[in-house]
Amino acid sequence: MLGAGGGGNDVHWCFSQVKGAIDDDVAEADIISTVEFNHSGELLATGDKGGRVVIFQQETENKSQSQWRSEYNVYSTFQSHEPEFDYLKSLEIEEKINKIRWLPQKNAAQFLLSTNDKTIKLWKISERDKRPEGYNLKEEDGRYRDAATITTLRVPVFRPMDLMVEASPRRVFANAHTYHINSISVNSDNETYLSADDLRINLWHLEITDRSFNIVDIKPANMEELTEVITAAEFHPHQCNTFVYSSSKGTIRLCDMRASALCDKHSKLFEEPEDPSNRSFFSEIISSISDVKFSHNGRYMMTRDYLSVKIWDLNMENRPVETYQVHEYLRSKLCSLYENDCIFDKFECCWNGNDSVVMTGSYNNFFRMLDRSQRRDVTLEASRESCKPRQVLKPRRVCAGGKRKKDEISVDSLDFNKKILHTAWHPQENIIAVATTNNLYIFQEKVN
Amino acid sequence: MDVEAKRIMALSISKLYSLRTQRGGLRLHRSLLLSMTMRAARDIYHTAQLLRDAEEEQVVPCAPDAAPEEPMEISKDSPQSLTPKEVAMKPQEPKETLEEDKENRCASERHSRKRSVKTALETDSLPLKKAKMETDEEKQHLQGEVFRTNNGNSCRQAETLTAFPTNRTIVAC
Repeated sequence: MLGAGGGGNDVHWCFSQVKGAIDDDVAEADIISTVEFNHSGELLATGDKGGRVVIFQQETENKSQSQWRSEYNVYSTFQSHEPEFDYLKSLEIEEKINKIRWLPQKNAAQFLLSTNDKTIKLWKISERDKRPEGYNLKEEDGRYRDAATITTLRVPVFRPMDLMVEASPRRVFANAHTYHINSISVNSDNETYLSADDLRINLWHLEITDRSFNIVDIKPANMEELTEVITAAEFHPHQCNTFVYSSSKGTIRLCDMRASALCDKHSKLFEEPEDPSNRSFFSEIISSISDVKFSHNGRYMMTRDYLSVKIWDLNMENRPVETYQVHEYLRSKLCSLYENDCIFDKFECCWNGNDSVVMTGSYNNFFRMLDRSQRRDVTLEASRESCKPRQVLKPRRVCAGGKRKKDEISVDSLDFNKKILHTAWHPQENIIAVATTNNLYIFQEKVN
Repeated sequence: MDVEAKRIMALSISKLYSLRTQRGGLRLHRSLLLSMTMRAARDIYHTAQLLRDAEEEQVVPCAPDAAPEEPMEISKDSPQSLTPKEVAMKPQEPKETLEEDKENRCASERHSRKRSVKTALETDSLPLKKAKMETDEEKQHLQGEVFRTNNGNSCRQAETLTAFPTNRTIVAC
């Protein structure tokens, strides 16, 4: 294992694999809506708009071949959620998978939580590689043997069979959210998890499906006074009493469940004063936080708003310790982005294994690696043109205005339909999964 | 500046309407952001309009025609009565459809809110004089429509769609 050290710029990223259909005509159901590695990085799960979950598994052989890490192949595919209809409210409930979160592995089986807008499900993924054979009263195909022909007694024995991976829903957590679920997060206690919608956060026990505790409720008594909604929530990686939630106003609240049963009153409020020179019609929209993620060490958290990524020290509430511009060249285009609805896109962000580099997506199938330790950043592209095996990705540059240099792409040529909203980083190694609209790209660190 | 504000306002309104027909139900976050942007644009637009009307007033102090006077009359009122009312009504428009628990609602309350919201929208996008004249007509029209579509099931969200003659608002913008 090469370790997850090294900055984003020391690392040269190479194409490894791409999953999904090649043709440009994208079926809506195939649009990837979430990507998540499990805790060991051996499994990679994706959810799509059609309610399906596809899990890839890293092959364990071929370690001897240089140090090129093995490929991810399809391990299991299942339909997690189906479209539903709420008859009381005359509303259709989309089957799109909003989030997948893995549970830490406790036994041979793997467990994950997947959620759509209203219902969370706990799935068990288990392997079966043996089956009992030699029944006394039945043939192998299941038909009962003629009683007259049975003259001896035999005991069935387990014999090897082709590996079968089964996914079964073990728990269904339903009817707890009036608004649309945007986040789920498994607690470090491995017993509870939270689910957050626009106005409320609920705490569940993994074993109990018929009730949950409401721990945050920001719904005003008069809905006309509504000024902000919850956009993301996450449990602290080590402190089982701590969680954060971000808002559409660009604030993050840290709550301690030991303080009170209802955590409406925050323990800490993280907010950066707005720069008045940047004020516009769209200031509200672009300050809305689309994702919040704790660092692996639990000392920092990262937030993503429309134009930037901010790193916050949990001990400092009044401003972030680091701010990175993702695509500042879009600031002058906000009106057009409002017209084509792109300004509402919710980009996610992720940390590498040792918290030294963060990654987030952009448009034109670009994604950004922001190296914290070396204060450098690079823009890479997930495209079919760079799909030769082990081809090194070339840094991309966007020309904001003026004379366009060679190899640069101008802002007006960017394809805003090609957006990378979901990315994931292997917890230990320099392997990343980047989701374009309907394809999943896997890149690995170049090894010499 | 106010041309831009008006455009953004119209854009926001049309986006808010199209949200209602989207699959998966009304998105609270998106509606909130859209209505905030619309309000910001509307405030700028109204401020610009007030300034323009104030200028007109100075230029034409005693015009015999009632038409220019009426808008001025109303605009004088607007800082006190219309704007606060609008501020109260405007957020109601998306909020009303967002309100999903029904315990605080009764059918008549909904009807009266819908009427006022419609008035506010009309005042925004049409010449003020016309809006004033049409108000009473509209109330009857709305009442009739709602009554027709309401089969005793006032909880159904679908009704709000029919109660709003959307084409009128958008054309005016």
